[in-house]
Amino acid sequence: MTGTQQITRPDAEPVLRVSGLRKYYGEHLALDGVDLDVQASEVVAVLGPSGSGKSTLVRCIDQLEPIDGGSMHLDGELLGYEHHGTHLRPLRDVDVQRQRRRMGMVFQQFNLFPHWTVLRNITEAPIRVHGMAPAEARDRAMELLGRVGLTDKADAHPRQLSGGQQQRVAIARAVAARPRILLFDEPTSSLDPELVDEVLQVMKDLAEAGMTMIVVTHELEFARSVADRCVFMADGQVLEDRPSTEFFDDPRSTRLRTFLTRTGGAARGDADSEAVA
Amino acid sequence: MTGLTTQPVRSPRDGTEVDVARARGRVRPSRVVISILLVLVTAQIVLFLVTNERFEWPVVAEYLFNPSVLLGLGMSIMLTFVGMVLGSILGTALAAGQLSEFMPLRWACIVFVGVFRGVPPLVQLIFWYNLAYLLPRLSVGVPFGPELFSWPTNDLITPLTAAIIGLSLHEAAYMAEIIRAGILSVDSGQRDAAAAMGFSRWHSFTRVVLPQAMRVIIPPTGSQVIALMKGTSLVSVIAMGDLLHSVQVIYNRTYDVVPMLIVAVIWYLVVVTALTVVQRRVEQRFSRGMSRTTARRVMNRVEAQA
Repeated sequence: MTGTQQITRPDAEPVLRVSGLRKYYGEHLALDGVDLDVQASEVVAVLGPSGSGKSTLVRCIDQLEPIDGGSMHLDGELLGYEHHGTHLRPLRDVDVQRQRRRMGMVFQQFNLFPHWTVLRNITEAPIRVHGMAPAEARDRAMELLGRVGLTDKADAHPRQLSGGQQQRVAIARAVAARPRILLFDEPTSSLDPELVDEVLQVMKDLAEAGMTMIVVTHELEFARSVADRCVFMADGQVLEDRPSTEFFDDPRSTRLRTFLTRTGGAARGDADSEAVA
Repeated sequence: MTGLTTQPVRSPRDGTEVDVARARGRVRPSRVVISILLVLVTAQIVLFLVTNERFEWPVVAEYLFNPSVLLGLGMSIMLTFVGMVLGSILGTALAAGQLSEFMPLRWACIVFVGVFRGVPPLVQLIFWYNLAYLLPRLSVGVPFGPELFSWPTNDLITPLTAAIIGLSLHEAAYMAEIIRAGILSVDSGQRDAAAAMGFSRWHSFTRVVLPQAMRVIIPPTGSQVIALMKGTSLVSVIAMGDLLHSVQVIYNRTYDVVPMLIVAVIWYLVVVTALTVVQRRVEQRFSRGMSRTTARRVMNRVEAQA
Protein backbone atom coordinates (compact mmCIF):
# COMPACT_ATOMS: atom_id res chain seq x y z
CA MET A 1 0.00 0.00 0.00
CA THR A 2 1.15 3.53 -0.69
CA GLY A 3 3.23 4.49 2.31
CA THR A 4 0.49 3.65 4.79
CA GLN A 5 1.63 3.90 8.38
CA GLN A 6 -0.25 1.33 10.42
CA ILE A 7 -0.16 1.37 14.16
CA THR A 8 -0.18 -2.20 15.35
CA ARG A 9 -1.28 -3.23 18.79
CA PRO A 10 -1.05 -6.98 18.56
CA ASP A 11 -2.39 -7.43 22.09
CA ALA A 12 -5.95 -6.29 21.30
CA GLU A 13 -8.42 -7.32 18.62
CA PRO A 14 -9.69 -4.15 16.97
CA VAL A 15 -13.35 -3.19 17.30
CA LEU A 16 -13.31 -2.33 13.62
CA ARG A 17 -10.93 -3.66 11.02
CA VAL A 18 -11.10 -2.25 7.50
CA SER A 19 -8.86 -4.07 5.06
CA GLY A 20 -8.11 -3.24 1.43
CA LEU A 21 -11.48 -1.49 1.06
CA ARG A 22 -12.35 -0.50 -2.50
CA LYS A 23 -15.36 1.46 -3.68
CA TYR A 24 -16.28 2.67 -7.16
CA TYR A 25 -18.73 5.39 -8.13
CA GLY A 26 -19.20 4.40 -11.76
CA GLU A 27 -15.70 4.57 -13.24
CA HIS A 28 -14.32 6.65 -10.38
CA LEU A 29 -12.37 4.75 -7.74
CA ALA A 30 -13.50 6.52 -4.56
CA LEU A 31 -11.71 4.21 -2.12
CA ASP A 32 -8.52 2.59 -3.29
CA GLY A 33 -7.47 -0.12 -0.84
CA VAL A 34 -8.14 1.52 2.51
CA ASP A 35 -6.79 -0.17 5.66
CA LEU A 36 -7.91 1.02 9.07
CA ASP A 37 -7.98 -0.58 12.51
CA VAL A 38 -9.83 1.00 15.40
CA GLN A 39 -9.28 -0.29 18.93
CA ALA A 40 -11.82 -0.10 21.74
CA SER A 41 -12.14 3.41 23.23
CA GLU A 42 -9.94 4.80 20.51
CA VAL A 43 -10.82 8.07 18.75
CA VAL A 44 -9.66 8.22 15.14
CA ALA A 45 -9.93 11.47 13.20
CA VAL A 46 -10.04 11.19 9.42
CA LEU A 47 -8.73 14.27 7.64
CA GLY A 48 -8.18 15.13 4.02
CA PRO A 49 -9.21 17.43 1.20
CA SER A 50 -12.70 17.34 -0.32
CA GLY A 51 -13.23 14.31 -2.52
CA SER A 52 -10.51 12.32 -0.78
CA GLY A 53 -13.04 9.60 0.15
CA LYS A 54 -13.32 10.22 3.90
CA SER A 55 -17.13 10.52 3.93
CA THR A 56 -17.40 7.56 1.58
CA LEU A 57 -15.31 5.56 4.05
CA VAL A 58 -17.68 6.03 7.00
CA ARG A 59 -20.75 5.57 4.79
CA CYS A 60 -19.30 2.26 3.59
CA ILE A 61 -18.54 1.16 7.16
CA ASP A 62 -22.21 1.78 8.10
CA GLN A 63 -23.22 -0.12 4.94
CA LEU A 64 -25.08 2.87 3.51
CA GLU A 65 -23.04 2.35 0.34
CA PRO A 66 -22.22 -1.03 -1.22
CA ILE A 67 -18.51 -1.81 -1.40
CA ASP A 68 -16.62 -3.30 -4.33
CA GLY A 69 -13.64 -4.96 -2.69
CA GLY A 70 -11.71 -5.64 0.48
CA SER A 71 -13.43 -6.39 3.77
CA MET A 72 -14.70 -4.82 6.98
CA HIS A 73 -14.99 -6.62 10.33
CA LEU A 74 -16.81 -5.38 13.43
CA ASP A 75 -15.67 -7.28 16.54
CA GLY A 76 -14.35 -9.96 14.22
CA GLU A 77 -17.66 -10.31 12.35
CA LEU A 78 -17.54 -9.76 8.60
CA LEU A 79 -19.75 -6.81 7.64
CA GLY A 80 -22.27 -7.10 4.81
CA TYR A 81 -21.27 -10.57 3.60
CA GLU A 82 -21.29 -14.15 4.83
CA HIS A 83 -19.35 -17.27 3.92
CA HIS A 84 -21.39 -19.60 1.77
CA GLY A 85 -19.55 -22.74 0.74
CA THR A 86 -16.35 -21.63 -0.89
CA HIS A 87 -17.38 -18.07 -1.64
CA LEU A 88 -18.90 -14.96 -0.05
CA ARG A 89 -22.42 -13.74 -0.60
CA PRO A 90 -24.27 -10.58 0.54
CA LEU A 91 -26.15 -10.83 3.83
CA ARG A 92 -29.92 -10.72 4.06
CA ASP A 93 -31.41 -7.28 4.79
CA VAL A 94 -32.31 -8.27 8.35
CA ASP A 95 -28.72 -9.28 9.06
CA VAL A 96 -27.40 -6.01 7.64
CA GLN A 97 -29.87 -4.18 9.88
CA ARG A 98 -28.69 -6.24 12.87
CA GLN A 99 -25.07 -5.25 12.14
CA ARG A 100 -25.95 -1.58 11.73
CA ARG A 101 -27.58 -1.61 15.16
CA ARG A 102 -24.12 -2.03 16.68
CA MET A 103 -22.93 1.20 15.07
CA GLY A 104 -24.09 4.78 15.48
CA MET A 105 -23.89 7.41 12.76
CA VAL A 106 -23.93 11.19 13.00
CA PHE A 107 -24.51 12.98 9.71
CA GLN A 108 -23.37 16.34 8.41
CA GLN A 109 -27.00 17.38 7.84
CA PHE A 110 -28.17 15.95 11.24
CA ASN A 111 -31.01 14.03 9.50
CA LEU A 112 -33.28 14.14 12.53
CA PHE A 113 -36.83 13.01 11.79
CA PRO A 114 -38.69 16.33 11.56
CA HIS A 115 -42.17 14.89 12.16
CA TRP A 116 -41.23 13.50 15.58
CA THR A 117 -40.33 15.21 18.83
CA VAL A 118 -36.75 15.22 20.04
CA LEU A 119 -37.65 12.55 22.58
CA ARG A 120 -39.18 10.21 20.01
CA ASN A 121 -36.20 10.73 17.70
CA ILE A 122 -34.03 9.31 20.47
CA THR A 123 -36.36 6.58 21.79
CA GLU A 124 -37.63 5.15 18.48
CA ALA A 125 -34.67 2.87 17.75
CA PRO A 126 -34.20 1.62 21.33
CA ILE A 127 -37.90 0.76 21.58
CA ARG A 128 -38.74 -0.44 18.07
CA VAL A 129 -35.42 -1.88 17.00
CA HIS A 130 -33.74 -2.99 20.21
CA GLY A 131 -36.88 -3.92 22.12
CA MET A 132 -36.16 -1.70 25.11
CA ALA A 133 -39.08 -0.99 27.44
CA PRO A 134 -40.60 2.44 26.63
CA ALA A 135 -40.13 3.75 30.17
CA GLU A 136 -36.50 2.64 30.23
CA ALA A 137 -35.88 4.14 26.76
CA ARG A 138 -37.43 7.39 27.93
CA ASP A 139 -35.26 7.53 31.05
CA ARG A 140 -32.17 6.84 28.98
CA ALA A 141 -33.15 9.50 26.42
CA MET A 142 -33.65 12.07 29.18
CA GLU A 143 -30.29 11.14 30.69
CA LEU A 144 -28.62 11.58 27.29
CA LEU A 145 -30.42 14.88 26.70
CA GLY A 146 -29.03 15.96 30.04
CA ARG A 147 -25.53 15.03 28.91
CA VAL A 148 -25.88 17.13 25.74
CA GLY A 149 -27.54 19.95 27.71
CA LEU A 150 -30.97 19.83 26.08
CA THR A 151 -33.27 18.42 28.77
CA ASP A 152 -35.75 21.24 28.19
CA LYS A 153 -36.05 20.43 24.46
CA ALA A 154 -37.41 16.88 24.84
CA ASP A 155 -40.84 17.82 23.49
CA ALA A 156 -39.64 20.25 20.83
CA HIS A 157 -39.58 19.39 17.14
CA PRO A 158 -36.19 19.41 15.37
CA ARG A 159 -37.07 22.45 13.21
CA GLN A 160 -37.51 24.53 16.35
CA LEU A 161 -33.87 23.95 17.30
CA SER A 162 -30.67 25.61 16.14
CA GLY A 163 -28.24 23.60 14.02
CA GLY A 164 -25.96 22.99 16.97
CA GLN A 165 -28.85 21.79 19.12
CA GLN A 166 -30.08 19.51 16.35
CA GLN A 167 -26.65 17.95 16.00
CA ARG A 168 -26.43 17.41 19.75
CA VAL A 169 -29.81 15.63 19.61
CA ALA A 170 -28.52 13.59 16.67
CA ILE A 171 -25.53 12.53 18.75
CA ALA A 172 -27.81 11.57 21.64
CA ARG A 173 -29.91 9.57 19.17
CA ALA A 174 -26.86 7.74 17.86
CA VAL A 175 -25.64 6.95 21.37
CA ALA A 176 -29.04 5.84 22.68
CA ALA A 177 -28.74 2.31 21.33
CA ARG A 178 -25.31 1.83 23.03
CA PRO A 179 -23.31 1.33 19.81
CA ARG A 180 -19.89 -0.39 19.79
CA ILE A 181 -18.58 2.41 17.59
CA LEU A 182 -19.76 5.89 16.65
CA LEU A 183 -19.19 7.24 13.14
CA PHE A 184 -19.19 11.00 12.55
CA ASP A 185 -19.49 12.28 8.98
CA GLU A 186 -18.33 15.92 9.12
CA PRO A 187 -20.56 16.65 12.12
CA THR A 188 -19.78 20.37 12.29
CA SER A 189 -19.39 21.23 8.61
CA SER A 190 -22.91 22.59 8.09
CA LEU A 191 -23.00 24.54 11.34
CA ASP A 192 -22.63 28.28 11.78
CA PRO A 193 -19.14 28.92 13.24
CA GLU A 194 -20.43 30.00 16.66
CA LEU A 195 -22.32 26.67 17.05
CA VAL A 196 -19.37 24.41 16.28
CA ASP A 197 -17.86 24.39 19.78
CA GLU A 198 -20.98 23.15 21.58
CA VAL A 199 -21.04 20.08 19.30
CA LEU A 200 -17.31 19.46 19.58
CA GLN A 201 -17.60 19.66 23.38
CA VAL A 202 -20.27 16.91 23.35
CA MET A 203 -18.00 14.77 21.17
CA LYS A 204 -15.07 15.41 23.47
CA ASP A 205 -17.18 14.31 26.47
CA LEU A 206 -18.06 11.10 24.63
CA ALA A 207 -14.40 10.45 23.83
CA GLU A 208 -13.45 10.95 27.47
CA ALA A 209 -16.24 8.56 28.50
CA GLY A 210 -14.47 5.87 26.47
CA MET A 211 -16.61 5.78 23.31
CA THR A 212 -14.94 4.29 20.25
CA MET A 213 -15.19 6.88 17.50
CA ILE A 214 -14.26 7.57 13.90
CA VAL A 215 -14.59 11.27 13.18
CA VAL A 216 -14.41 12.63 9.64
CA THR A 217 -13.74 16.29 10.22
CA HIS A 218 -12.10 19.49 9.11
CA GLU A 219 -11.62 20.60 12.71
CA LEU A 220 -7.86 20.22 13.04
CA GLU A 221 -7.66 21.50 16.60
CA PHE A 222 -10.26 18.94 17.66
CA ALA A 223 -8.32 16.20 15.88
CA ARG A 224 -5.08 17.23 17.55
CA SER A 225 -6.45 17.53 21.08
CA VAL A 226 -9.13 14.82 21.22
CA ALA A 227 -8.20 12.12 18.69
CA ASP A 228 -5.75 9.38 19.63
CA ARG A 229 -4.85 8.87 16.00
CA CYS A 230 -5.23 10.89 12.84
CA VAL A 231 -5.66 9.44 9.39
CA PHE A 232 -4.88 11.50 6.32
CA MET A 233 -6.70 10.53 3.13
CA ALA A 234 -6.17 11.71 -0.43
CA ASP A 235 -7.51 10.29 -3.70
CA GLY A 236 -9.20 7.41 -1.92
CA GLN A 237 -6.04 6.24 -0.16
CA VAL A 238 -4.77 6.47 3.39
CA LEU A 239 -1.48 8.38 3.16
CA GLU A 240 -0.75 8.64 6.87
CA ASP A 241 -2.15 6.97 9.95
CA ARG A 242 -0.31 8.03 13.11
CA PRO A 243 -0.75 9.22 16.69
CA SER A 244 -2.15 12.76 16.67
CA THR A 245 0.88 14.58 18.00
CA GLU A 246 3.25 12.96 15.47
CA PHE A 247 0.69 13.54 12.74
CA PHE A 248 0.69 17.29 13.26
CA ASP A 249 4.26 17.87 14.44
CA ASP A 250 6.08 15.51 12.07
CA PRO A 251 4.02 14.96 8.91
CA ARG A 252 5.90 12.58 6.58
CA SER A 253 4.14 12.88 3.22
CA THR A 254 4.36 16.02 1.14
CA ARG A 255 0.59 15.94 0.58
CA LEU A 256 -0.08 16.09 4.30
CA ARG A 257 2.48 18.85 4.84
CA THR A 258 0.85 20.90 2.09
CA PHE A 259 -2.59 20.15 3.52
CA LEU A 260 -1.62 21.21 7.01
CA THR A 261 0.03 24.38 5.76
CA ARG A 262 -2.92 25.32 3.58
CA THR A 263 -5.48 24.67 6.31
CA GLY A 264 -3.44 26.26 9.06
CA GLY A 265 -3.03 23.00 10.92
CA ALA A 266 0.73 23.44 11.10
CA ALA A 267 0.15 26.54 13.18
CA ARG A 268 -1.36 25.26 16.41
CA GLY A 269 -5.01 26.05 17.11
CA ASP A 270 -5.79 27.79 13.85
CA ALA A 271 -8.11 25.32 12.19
CA ASP A 272 -10.10 26.70 9.30
CA SER A 273 -12.42 24.28 7.59
CA GLU A 274 -13.36 26.74 4.86
CA ALA A 275 -9.87 26.71 3.40
CA VAL A 276 -10.26 23.01 2.65
CA ALA A 277 -13.62 23.26 0.93
CA MET B 1 -38.75 65.22 23.65
CA THR B 2 -40.02 66.08 20.23
CA GLY B 3 -36.73 67.40 18.97
CA LEU B 4 -36.73 65.05 16.00
CA THR B 5 -40.28 65.84 14.94
CA THR B 6 -40.49 67.95 11.81
CA GLN B 7 -43.27 70.34 10.88
CA PRO B 8 -46.08 68.70 8.84
CA VAL B 9 -45.76 69.30 5.12
CA ARG B 10 -48.42 71.73 3.86
CA SER B 11 -50.04 71.46 0.47
CA PRO B 12 -49.04 74.38 -1.74
CA ARG B 13 -52.59 74.34 -3.15
CA ASP B 14 -54.75 74.91 -0.07
CA GLY B 15 -52.34 74.84 2.88
CA THR B 16 -53.75 71.66 4.44
CA GLU B 17 -51.46 68.95 5.83
CA VAL B 18 -50.36 66.33 3.27
CA ASP B 19 -51.43 62.95 4.73
CA VAL B 20 -52.10 59.89 2.56
CA ALA B 21 -54.45 58.59 5.25
CA ARG B 22 -57.05 60.99 3.81
CA ALA B 23 -56.50 59.82 0.22
CA ARG B 24 -59.48 58.53 -1.75
CA GLY B 25 -59.61 55.61 -4.16
CA ARG B 26 -58.61 56.07 -7.76
CA VAL B 27 -60.92 55.16 -10.63
CA ARG B 28 -59.23 52.49 -12.78
CA PRO B 29 -60.74 52.50 -16.29
CA SER B 30 -59.86 48.87 -17.07
CA ARG B 31 -61.71 47.68 -13.98
CA VAL B 32 -64.75 49.72 -14.92
CA VAL B 33 -64.80 48.10 -18.34
CA ILE B 34 -64.39 44.59 -16.90
CA SER B 35 -67.17 45.20 -14.39
CA ILE B 36 -69.58 46.35 -17.08
CA LEU B 37 -68.73 43.33 -19.24
CA LEU B 38 -69.22 40.90 -16.34
CA VAL B 39 -72.59 42.41 -15.46
CA LEU B 40 -73.69 42.17 -19.09
CA VAL B 41 -72.59 38.55 -19.48
CA THR B 42 -74.17 37.53 -16.16
CA ALA B 43 -77.44 39.23 -17.05
CA GLN B 44 -77.45 37.49 -20.42
CA ILE B 45 -76.89 34.08 -18.84
CA VAL B 46 -79.59 34.59 -16.22
CA LEU B 47 -82.00 35.80 -18.88
CA PHE B 48 -81.20 32.75 -21.00
CA LEU B 49 -81.74 30.37 -18.08
CA VAL B 50 -85.02 31.98 -17.03
CA THR B 51 -86.67 32.81 -20.34
CA ASN B 52 -85.68 29.77 -22.38
CA GLU B 53 -88.58 27.44 -21.72
CA ARG B 54 -86.73 24.43 -23.06
CA PHE B 55 -84.86 24.18 -19.79
CA GLU B 56 -88.21 23.06 -18.37
CA TRP B 57 -87.36 23.98 -14.79
CA PRO B 58 -90.53 22.37 -13.43
CA VAL B 59 -89.28 19.02 -14.80
CA VAL B 60 -85.88 19.63 -13.21
CA ALA B 61 -87.57 20.30 -9.88
CA GLU B 62 -89.76 17.23 -10.25
CA TYR B 63 -86.84 14.85 -10.80
CA LEU B 64 -84.14 16.48 -8.64
CA PHE B 65 -85.00 14.28 -5.66
CA ASN B 66 -86.36 11.35 -7.66
CA PRO B 67 -85.41 8.10 -5.84
CA SER B 68 -83.68 6.55 -8.86
CA VAL B 69 -81.67 9.77 -9.37
CA LEU B 70 -80.64 9.73 -5.70
CA LEU B 71 -79.77 6.05 -6.01
CA GLY B 72 -77.55 6.89 -9.00
CA LEU B 73 -75.96 9.71 -7.03
CA GLY B 74 -75.24 7.30 -4.18
CA MET B 75 -73.71 4.84 -6.63
CA SER B 76 -71.44 7.56 -8.08
CA ILE B 77 -70.27 8.55 -4.59
CA MET B 78 -69.70 4.89 -3.68
CA LEU B 79 -67.66 4.31 -6.86
CA THR B 80 -65.59 7.42 -6.08
CA PHE B 81 -64.91 6.15 -2.56
CA VAL B 82 -64.06 2.57 -3.55
CA GLY B 83 -61.98 3.70 -6.54
CA MET B 84 -60.04 6.12 -4.37
CA VAL B 85 -59.36 3.63 -1.57
CA LEU B 86 -58.30 0.79 -3.89
CA GLY B 87 -56.43 3.21 -6.15
CA SER B 88 -54.48 4.69 -3.24
CA ILE B 89 -53.49 1.31 -1.82
CA LEU B 90 -52.39 -0.04 -5.21
CA GLY B 91 -50.86 3.34 -6.09
CA THR B 92 -48.69 3.28 -2.95
CA ALA B 93 -47.44 -0.20 -3.82
CA LEU B 94 -46.75 0.89 -7.41
CA ALA B 95 -44.92 4.02 -6.27
CA ALA B 96 -42.72 1.98 -3.93
CA GLY B 97 -42.14 -0.54 -6.73
CA GLN B 98 -41.18 2.18 -9.20
CA LEU B 99 -38.50 3.34 -6.75
CA SER B 100 -37.28 -0.17 -5.96
CA GLU B 101 -33.62 -1.07 -6.44
CA PHE B 102 -34.75 -4.36 -7.97
CA MET B 103 -34.83 -3.70 -11.69
CA PRO B 104 -37.47 -6.22 -12.85
CA LEU B 105 -39.95 -4.99 -10.22
CA ARG B 106 -39.15 -1.38 -11.01
CA TRP B 107 -39.79 -1.90 -14.70
CA ALA B 108 -42.96 -3.90 -14.12
CA CYS B 109 -44.38 -1.04 -12.07
CA ILE B 110 -43.25 1.60 -14.57
CA VAL B 111 -44.88 -0.31 -17.44
CA PHE B 112 -48.07 -0.86 -15.43
CA VAL B 113 -48.37 2.83 -14.61
CA GLY B 114 -47.54 3.80 -18.18
CA VAL B 115 -50.24 1.54 -19.63
CA PHE B 116 -53.01 2.43 -17.22
CA ARG B 117 -52.25 6.12 -17.35
CA GLY B 118 -52.10 6.01 -21.13
CA VAL B 119 -55.33 4.13 -21.86
CA PRO B 120 -58.40 6.39 -21.64
CA PRO B 121 -60.61 5.29 -18.74
CA LEU B 122 -63.61 5.00 -21.07
CA VAL B 123 -61.75 2.52 -23.27
CA GLN B 124 -60.65 0.60 -20.18
CA LEU B 125 -64.17 0.32 -18.82
CA ILE B 126 -65.50 -1.10 -22.08
CA PHE B 127 -62.53 -3.45 -22.23
CA TRP B 128 -63.03 -4.86 -18.72
CA TYR B 129 -66.76 -5.16 -19.38
CA ASN B 130 -65.99 -7.33 -22.43
CA LEU B 131 -63.34 -9.42 -20.71
CA ALA B 132 -65.40 -12.57 -21.27
CA TYR B 133 -64.60 -12.37 -24.97
CA LEU B 134 -60.90 -12.92 -24.21
CA LEU B 135 -61.28 -15.14 -21.17
CA PRO B 136 -64.52 -17.10 -21.11
CA ARG B 137 -63.64 -18.52 -17.70
CA LEU B 138 -61.58 -17.12 -14.84
CA SER B 139 -59.77 -19.64 -12.69
CA VAL B 140 -57.50 -19.80 -9.69
CA GLY B 141 -54.86 -22.49 -9.84
CA VAL B 142 -51.20 -23.32 -10.22
CA PRO B 143 -49.74 -21.41 -13.20
CA PHE B 144 -49.53 -23.83 -16.16
CA GLY B 145 -50.83 -26.49 -13.73
CA PRO B 146 -54.15 -27.71 -12.40
CA GLU B 147 -57.07 -25.35 -11.76
CA LEU B 148 -58.43 -25.12 -8.23
CA PHE B 149 -61.47 -22.89 -8.78
CA SER B 150 -63.09 -21.66 -11.93
CA TRP B 151 -65.97 -19.31 -12.74
CA PRO B 152 -67.56 -18.11 -15.98
CA THR B 153 -66.19 -14.61 -16.57
CA ASN B 154 -69.63 -13.19 -17.26
CA ASP B 155 -70.74 -14.18 -13.75
CA LEU B 156 -67.88 -12.21 -12.22
CA ILE B 157 -67.66 -9.21 -14.54
CA THR B 158 -70.85 -7.30 -13.86
CA PRO B 159 -71.13 -3.59 -14.65
CA LEU B 160 -70.24 -2.99 -10.99
CA THR B 161 -67.06 -5.08 -10.94
CA ALA B 162 -65.99 -3.78 -14.37
CA ALA B 163 -66.53 -0.21 -13.14
CA ILE B 164 -64.58 -0.80 -9.91
CA ILE B 165 -61.70 -2.54 -11.71
CA GLY B 166 -61.49 0.08 -14.46
CA LEU B 167 -61.70 3.13 -12.21
CA SER B 168 -59.40 1.67 -9.52
CA LEU B 169 -56.65 0.73 -11.99
CA HIS B 170 -56.87 4.12 -13.68
CA GLU B 171 -56.78 5.85 -10.31
CA ALA B 172 -53.92 3.66 -9.08
CA ALA B 173 -51.74 4.77 -12.00
CA TYR B 174 -52.33 8.44 -11.21
CA MET B 175 -51.95 7.98 -7.45
CA ALA B 176 -48.70 6.09 -8.08
CA GLU B 177 -47.24 9.18 -9.76
CA ILE B 178 -48.47 11.50 -7.01
CA ILE B 179 -47.14 9.26 -4.24
CA ARG B 180 -43.84 8.75 -6.09
CA ALA B 181 -43.37 12.53 -6.27
CA GLY B 182 -44.16 12.68 -2.55
CA ILE B 183 -41.61 10.01 -1.69
CA LEU B 184 -38.97 11.74 -3.84
CA SER B 185 -39.63 15.02 -2.00
CA VAL B 186 -38.35 13.43 1.23
CA ASP B 187 -34.63 14.09 1.70
CA SER B 188 -32.48 11.01 1.10
CA GLY B 189 -30.76 11.72 4.42
CA GLN B 190 -33.95 10.60 6.15
CA ARG B 191 -33.62 7.13 4.62
CA ASP B 192 -29.90 7.10 5.48
CA ALA B 193 -30.67 7.97 9.09
CA ALA B 194 -33.40 5.33 9.32
CA ALA B 195 -31.09 2.71 7.83
CA ALA B 196 -28.19 3.74 10.08
CA MET B 197 -30.39 3.21 13.13
CA GLY B 198 -31.18 -0.32 11.98
CA PHE B 199 -34.80 0.28 10.97
CA SER B 200 -36.25 -2.30 8.61
CA ARG B 201 -37.20 -1.12 5.12
CA TRP B 202 -40.88 -1.39 6.05
CA HIS B 203 -40.39 0.63 9.24
CA SER B 204 -38.39 3.25 7.35
CA PHE B 205 -41.00 3.53 4.58
CA THR B 206 -44.14 3.58 6.74
CA ARG B 207 -42.87 5.56 9.75
CA VAL B 208 -40.25 7.90 8.30
CA VAL B 209 -40.74 8.41 4.57
CA LEU B 210 -44.51 8.22 3.99
CA PRO B 211 -45.55 10.55 6.85
CA GLN B 212 -43.20 13.21 5.50
CA ALA B 213 -44.35 12.59 1.92
CA MET B 214 -47.98 13.22 2.93
CA ARG B 215 -47.55 17.01 2.79
CA VAL B 216 -46.79 16.67 -0.91
CA ILE B 217 -49.25 13.85 -1.58
CA ILE B 218 -52.39 15.32 0.00
CA PRO B 219 -53.08 18.42 -2.18
CA PRO B 220 -53.06 16.71 -5.61
CA THR B 221 -54.96 13.78 -4.11
CA GLY B 222 -57.84 16.16 -3.41
CA SER B 223 -57.93 17.08 -7.09
CA GLN B 224 -57.84 13.38 -7.94
CA VAL B 225 -60.93 12.70 -5.83
CA ILE B 226 -62.81 15.43 -7.68
CA ALA B 227 -61.62 14.18 -11.06
CA LEU B 228 -62.64 10.64 -10.16
CA MET B 229 -66.10 11.79 -9.03
CA LYS B 230 -66.67 13.33 -12.45
CA GLY B 231 -64.99 10.33 -14.10
CA THR B 232 -67.59 7.98 -12.64
CA SER B 233 -70.02 9.34 -15.27
CA LEU B 234 -68.08 7.19 -17.78
CA VAL B 235 -69.46 3.99 -16.30
CA SER B 236 -72.89 4.84 -17.74
CA VAL B 237 -71.64 3.40 -21.05
CA ILE B 238 -71.49 -0.08 -19.53
CA ALA B 239 -75.01 0.29 -18.12
CA MET B 240 -73.74 0.84 -14.58
CA GLY B 241 -76.45 2.67 -12.61
CA ASP B 242 -74.51 5.82 -11.72
CA LEU B 243 -75.91 9.35 -11.60
CA LEU B 244 -75.60 9.99 -15.34
CA HIS B 245 -77.02 6.58 -16.22
CA SER B 246 -80.00 7.07 -13.91
CA VAL B 247 -80.99 10.34 -15.62
CA GLN B 248 -80.39 8.77 -19.04
CA VAL B 249 -82.83 5.99 -18.18
CA ILE B 250 -85.42 8.61 -17.35
CA TYR B 251 -84.94 10.80 -20.43
CA ASN B 252 -84.94 7.77 -22.70
CA ARG B 253 -88.49 7.29 -21.48
CA THR B 254 -89.67 10.91 -21.22
CA TYR B 255 -87.45 12.59 -23.86
CA ASP B 256 -86.69 15.40 -21.35
CA VAL B 257 -83.01 15.21 -22.26
CA VAL B 258 -81.89 18.72 -21.28
CA PRO B 259 -83.81 19.05 -17.99
CA MET B 260 -82.59 15.62 -16.88
CA LEU B 261 -78.99 16.54 -17.72
CA ILE B 262 -79.50 19.70 -15.67
CA VAL B 263 -80.52 17.46 -12.76
CA ALA B 264 -77.25 15.54 -13.13
CA VAL B 265 -75.22 18.76 -13.48
CA ILE B 266 -76.73 20.17 -10.29
CA TRP B 267 -75.80 17.06 -8.31
CA TYR B 268 -72.28 16.86 -9.74
CA LEU B 269 -71.74 20.52 -8.84
CA VAL B 270 -73.09 19.99 -5.31
CA VAL B 271 -70.80 17.04 -4.62
CA VAL B 272 -67.73 18.60 -6.27
CA THR B 273 -68.25 21.86 -4.36
CA ALA B 274 -68.51 19.93 -1.10
CA LEU B 275 -65.32 17.99 -1.97
CA THR B 276 -63.54 21.25 -2.84
CA VAL B 277 -64.36 22.70 0.57
CA VAL B 278 -63.00 19.57 2.26
CA GLN B 279 -59.92 19.66 0.03
CA ARG B 280 -59.14 23.25 1.02
CA ARG B 281 -59.40 22.40 4.69
CA VAL B 282 -57.14 19.36 4.42
CA GLU B 283 -54.62 21.28 2.31
CA GLN B 284 -54.40 24.06 4.85
CA ARG B 285 -53.76 21.58 7.61
CA PHE B 286 -51.04 19.70 5.75
CA SER B 287 -49.32 22.75 4.30
CA ARG B 288 -48.56 23.98 7.83
CA GLY B 289 -44.85 24.33 8.39
CA MET B 290 -44.15 23.96 4.69
CA SER B 291 -42.68 26.98 2.99
CA ARG B 292 -44.75 28.41 0.17
CA THR B 293 -41.99 28.13 -2.38
CA THR B 294 -41.45 24.46 -1.60
CA ALA B 295 -45.17 23.82 -1.89
CA ARG B 296 -45.33 25.57 -5.23
CA ARG B 297 -42.28 23.84 -6.61
CA VAL B 298 -43.56 20.44 -5.57
CA MET B 299 -47.05 21.13 -6.90
CA ASN B 300 -45.61 22.18 -10.25
CA ARG B 301 -43.64 18.97 -10.44
CA VAL B 302 -46.70 16.88 -9.63
CA GLU B 303 -48.85 18.71 -12.15
CA ALA B 304 -46.21 18.39 -14.84
CA GLN B 305 -46.31 14.64 -14.35
CA ALA B 306 -50.10 14.33 -14.26
